[in-house]
Amino acid sequence: MSEARLLAPKLSPTEKGFRLFFLAAAIVALGQMFLIALFLLNEAAGLLATAPLGDFLFSKDWYPTYEPPEFGALALIVGSVVVTIGSSLIATPVGLGLAIYLAFLAGRRKREWIKPAVELMAGVPSVVLGFIGLAVVAPFLQDVLDLPTGLNVLNASFILALMAIPSIASLGEDALAAVPRDVLDASYALGATRWETIWKVAIPAAMSGLSTAVILGLGRALGETLVVLMVAGGAAQIPTSIFDSVRPMTATLAAEMGETAIGSAHYHALFALGAVLFVLTLAFNLLAYWLGVRWRRG
Amino acid sequence: MVAGGPIIEARDVDFYYGAFHALKGVSLDVAAKETTALIGPSGCGKSTFLKLLNRMNDFVPGARLSGEIKVAGRSIYGSDSDPVSIRRLVGMVFQRPNPFPKSIYDNICYGPRLIGARKKADLDVLVEKALKAAALWDDVKDKLTKSALDLSGGQQQRVCIARALALSPEILLMDEPTSALDPIATAKVEEWIKEADLSIVIVTHNMQQAARVSEHTAFFYLGELVEFGPTMEIFTRPRERRTENYITGRFG
Repeated sequence: MSEARLLAPKLSPTEKGFRLFFLAAAIVALGQMFLIALFLLNEAAGLLATAPLGDFLFSKDWYPTYEPPEFGALALIVGSVVVTIGSSLIATPVGLGLAIYLAFLAGRRKREWIKPAVELMAGVPSVVLGFIGLAVVAPFLQDVLDLPTGLNVLNASFILALMAIPSIASLGEDALAAVPRDVLDASYALGATRWETIWKVAIPAAMSGLSTAVILGLGRALGETLVVLMVAGGAAQIPTSIFDSVRPMTATLAAEMGETAIGSAHYHALFALGAVLFVLTLAFNLLAYWLGVRWRRG
Repeated sequence: MVAGGPIIEARDVDFYYGAFHALKGVSLDVAAKETTALIGPSGCGKSTFLKLLNRMNDFVPGARLSGEIKVAGRSIYGSDSDPVSIRRLVGMVFQRPNPFPKSIYDNICYGPRLIGARKKADLDVLVEKALKAAALWDDVKDKLTKSALDLSGGQQQRVCIARALALSPEILLMDEPTSALDPIATAKVEEWIKEADLSIVIVTHNMQQAARVSEHTAFFYLGELVEFGPTMEIFTRPRERRTENYITGRFG
């Protein structure tokens, strides 16, 4: 019996060229991610020379220009988390409700113009939404609720929700529309109403996509900078109500980075904030990925 | 129901998809507790007719119907008839196995839970009964909590049969139930059909299958019911030329 030969296809020079090109693209994409993370963590580590990690994460006193300065990021971290949770409480029910409406209740005609309109909404620049928060929502809140300022957690949550709703609705509708017609028919044929079919079959079957949609929408709210810079109020404090002003991490970075001497303790503290943001965003994405995998099978 | 009497009576049924005249004056009685096969070439209207029997064509935009269809003596297209309750009486098994992405147990319980069955002990009994009736119990009794999607195609189709049976329907509609299955799985499903103590209407492309499993056969062609009678007669002494041409494979 003769030796078995390997049957690998022979690549032409053109094919080899393509392979190299795509390999290079993959290396560039992964490499830049890796380098950014490395740079961020390296610059952030410089803070440890002036302040221990525990003080940075768990003290709420952020006085970067005092002498000596204090870099307690807790109020900023809480600020980011609070507006993200606030926006999720508004955006999740509205976004998923819109997704269900588009996928099952709107007729074909209505869907044909509502879906593109929703996707167009996702493209509105955040500065425009921030401006609406500043010029419309803030005075309204101030007048109606008789508050000292309308720039607060509620306003920021509302505007961030406006940003997240289109992506949640659009991704959510995609997930629901991908539930096979066969499976919906099976439910109807067993005497289920439309509502029972949506609730007991379509939503569970689309759960992986729906949870990904929500997490990605919220990830966007967490990383959003301009809106919170404009409408969250900018006070580095731990809020006691939704009418208090806050100063999320992103707003702090945007406001302070330009006025900081490179290499100073403040500079390193801002990078440390960036690293915290990076870790939180990464956690969100991993959560989205994990939910996606987890729900894939019944 | 009196065994042998008609459980489905269709009278002068005309059905349209928009402008397309899909069924032309179809009148047909289906005997209770027997298996009736609907055969004919693609696009002849046999599947359309089948889906009229549990109102699954309601979902097709622009669908229109005239004539009358009675199931168990009740008109199912009357102004006071409710599609949801009809579908509990008339179960359906589809062309491709379409279990829900849930456990085997939850698949079977889906219908009963819709009508309010909640007690675990009752559901346990129901699941066992339905799976035994679908000849699947011995295969899956130790993995009821596993996803139905992990089963083979033939087993999935029998889960779908069991799922329909869990509602104790009067009638089971089967729309080419073995067209996505391998020969062994097909044989098992056919075996089940022959044993089942139930009124079954089956659409099939496979004439040997119709001959094997049914007592009555209806031949549809271009939206008309060409010939309907005992399966034996249709396959040995067809009255119509078109039937003979089809079953001898001259077109199809």
